[in-house]
Amino acid sequence: MNDAVLEIRKMTVRYSGSAADAVRGVDLTLRPGECAGVIGESGSGKSSLALASLGLLRKRAEVEGSVLFKGVELNGLSESAMERYRWSRIAIIFQNGLDVLNPVIAVGEQIAECIRRHSGEGKAAAAEKTRRLLEMVGLRASWSDAYPHQLSGGMRQKALVAMALSCDPEVLLVDEPTMALDAVSKREIVELLLRLRAERGFAMLVISHELPVVSAMTSRVMVMYSGSVLEEGPTEALLKDPLHPYTRGLISSSPSVNPYRDMWGIPGEVVVAGEKQCPFFNRCTQRVDGCAGELPALKTVRDGRRVACIRDGIVTLLGGSGIDKTYGSGERSVAACVDCSLEVRAGEVCALIGESGSGKTTLAEILSGIARPDSGQVLFEGRPVRGNSETSKTGGIQIVFQDPLSATNEHLTIEETVREPLDILREGTKTERLRVAREALKNVQLPSDEDFLKRRCFMLSGGQRQRVAVARALVMRPKLLIADEISAMLDPSTAANMLRLLKGLQNSQGFAMLFVTHDLALAQKIADRVYVMRRGRIVEHGPTEDVLGAPKEEYTKLLMSGPGAVRSA
Amino acid sequence: MSSQEVSLRRRRFALRFGGSTAEKKRSAPFRAHRPLSALSLCGKAGLAVLLFILATGVFSLLFMGDAHRVPSGDSLESPSLRHILGTDDLGIDIAAQLCRGAMVSVLVGLGAAVLAGAGGSALGMLAGYAGGWPDRLISGLCDVLTAIPQLPLMIVLGAFLGPSVRNIVFVVALLSWVGPARIARAKTLSMRREKFIVAAACYGASFSHIAAKHLAPALAPLVAASVLRIIGHAVVAEAGLTFLGLGDPTSKSWGMILNRSMSFGGIYFTDFWKWWVLPPLVALTMLVVSTAFIARDLEKFVNRKL
Repeated sequence: MNDAVLEIRKMTVRYSGSAADAVRGVDLTLRPGECAGVIGESGSGKSSLALASLGLLRKRAEVEGSVLFKGVELNGLSESAMERYRWSRIAIIFQNGLDVLNPVIAVGEQIAECIRRHSGEGKAAAAEKTRRLLEMVGLRASWSDAYPHQLSGGMRQKALVAMALSCDPEVLLVDEPTMALDAVSKREIVELLLRLRAERGFAMLVISHELPVVSAMTSRVMVMYSGSVLEEGPTEALLKDPLHPYTRGLISSSPSVNPYRDMWGIPGEVVVAGEKQCPFFNRCTQRVDGCAGELPALKTVRDGRRVACIRDGIVTLLGGSGIDKTYGSGERSVAACVDCSLEVRAGEVCALIGESGSGKTTLAEILSGIARPDSGQVLFEGRPVRGNSETSKTGGIQIVFQDPLSATNEHLTIEETVREPLDILREGTKTERLRVAREALKNVQLPSDEDFLKRRCFMLSGGQRQRVAVARALVMRPKLLIADEISAMLDPSTAANMLRLLKGLQNSQGFAMLFVTHDLALAQKIADRVYVMRRGRIVEHGPTEDVLGAPKEEYTKLLMSGPGAVRSA
Repeated sequence: MSSQEVSLRRRRFALRFGGSTAEKKRSAPFRAHRPLSALSLCGKAGLAVLLFILATGVFSLLFMGDAHRVPSGDSLESPSLRHILGTDDLGIDIAAQLCRGAMVSVLVGLGAAVLAGAGGSALGMLAGYAGGWPDRLISGLCDVLTAIPQLPLMIVLGAFLGPSVRNIVFVVALLSWVGPARIARAKTLSMRREKFIVAAACYGASFSHIAAKHLAPALAPLVAASVLRIIGHAVVAEAGLTFLGLGDPTSKSWGMILNRSMSFGGIYFTDFWKWWVLPPLVALTMLVVSTAFIARDLEKFVNRKL
């Protein structure tokens, strides 16, 4: 255990005058030569963690816990004792170049000054070393006389790298190294840091909210949210298969991870959580009552993956296993589903892709309980789905059908249609039902005034009726919405509106969605994971970018070579 | 705002919400507010006759007092201004009997038809929706009732249950629910796969909710046509049973007038049959024909909507 070069134990940072901790009991271990990352939204405490470990927050904040550099406790050292470690053993690259450099002193001089102060070398030797450092980071030595404002953002960042490495530190903390840089400079900085690390072998802690940067530089990553670590694990696995809903939210907010998919931020604002409460509670889509009463600790879920969630990370909402279904009998029998297994996790969008006749609608009907499988089992939150057992209650499964004209009874008024599930369940009073129905109509961007409510469904267009059907499903506050080809019968513009609306509702209300479609481009656009179905079998499944980006099965390749898909060049 | 602008706005509104603009009305005349325009000439005539018969019945009930059962002249008078259709062998005004008879006939017809229509469609919906053994049972009953000759069964039942208007209504309804039931079952079978019914079932709706909310409104126009036919059938059946002496002897239905007149010995040797036998016969025929006309129009309308 003591091979760690830097070890942070139970660090808590509280800024003076602030009611809440900026960092709450964070543990972190950095081995020699290792490169770890910390990701999170702004204000999640990433930078405070770095600054506090260098003892830079002493005047402004109260820092508890211990920071061990090769076994030596740094937290609590006097300022002068700290100086011996700072810069020469642990260096930091700050996040904003223009603020960090002194605007009235030339860059080279600032670097040389740093060398002289920390290693006590002579003036000439320091100047010589500065030149070498600048060349090393790819800046011509002549820039050494330039003032900070004369350098571009990328160059300034390089100068900062040179300054940080001036005393050959063993640990380098990198705080947002590429923020506000253009793509080319970004790549240069990332490559530079990786090259220098390979050459010099220092350990690096990269703090960034840019996932591509973190995924390019680090082997291990930690996800922070309002001061707590929510998830930790190997970078590649964590980004591919996030365990915490927050991590998944971060990833889906980042277009570069999956360029075809639509971007959606994590809904809601950061609310300072109580002491005994999951910090992500108010934004979580799979919270249960227990989440409010307990601060979850990091625990190992599987190989090297640790997550702080009392439900062990993203839960599997719906699981179907070994589903078989055959229609007809004898020679004319059709195997609609053959040994189909699939799962949908809380808050995610799954796409079930297949050509018509591939059995995907049958599978959707079996999963929702409308159809009965010949064999196999469907579990929703651990309970078997039988008939309408999960569709006839709030917080269960809801299904929206393909044909909007058949999905709603044209003779009923819109109010009757949307209210129907509540009327059947006898939920609440009449006025409450009406209010819920109005809200649902507002959510699907339909008018909710008296006049509109009293209209009959046949007066609406197909797209509007589809939205009424969605509103009807939403009044049940489903945890899982199965959407069966809902855009297939709509014109492109209406379909686009419909889908953006649905995806927006999915994002804000946090339900999971199983999206049955034959439209590949659409699946690429909205799905986190896809299942490809053919002749009743699920031939391939996995994260959207893997399956559709680099298909393994012949059939998926065939699909992807068709005109409907968006291909990478 | 100019009128052009107004019409443009209206059209946009119509495009967005498919509202009830003039164009829409023309394309869907049966949803318009003038259902009369949906009727053919025969249909209109039928409706007029039906209303007239109903009106005479109501008139007799309100204003004619006991004229239909108390003698008001000599027996067997010829038509005159005082007795426009003369009097019967007891001196009772035949026109007054005819008017009161209209009431009885229409009531029997409507009663039997509504009973058969409601009961039949309820059973049909149940058979179509539930499938399985309820379907086999109800469909089997339908087949049996279709196969049995109706008139003998009706006579036997009528004789067995005893003479009363209520029993006739009951017997006629019992024998004529098959039509509405078959229609309801067929329509329910075709609607059962409609997604709004699947959705309602998903929400846990009971059969009664689905029947009342979704099936019945769609069935109503279809069953209405068949119910109108049952009215005609029921009126004739009542007249027939009464004529055969199985009716309520105290009632003054058209069948009873016929029964009495035709059992009057040697009526065809005199002129009495012209105003004693013919008028109830004509009234019966007209009632049946007029309901048939209306039913035909209604069927056309229903079929066009399908």
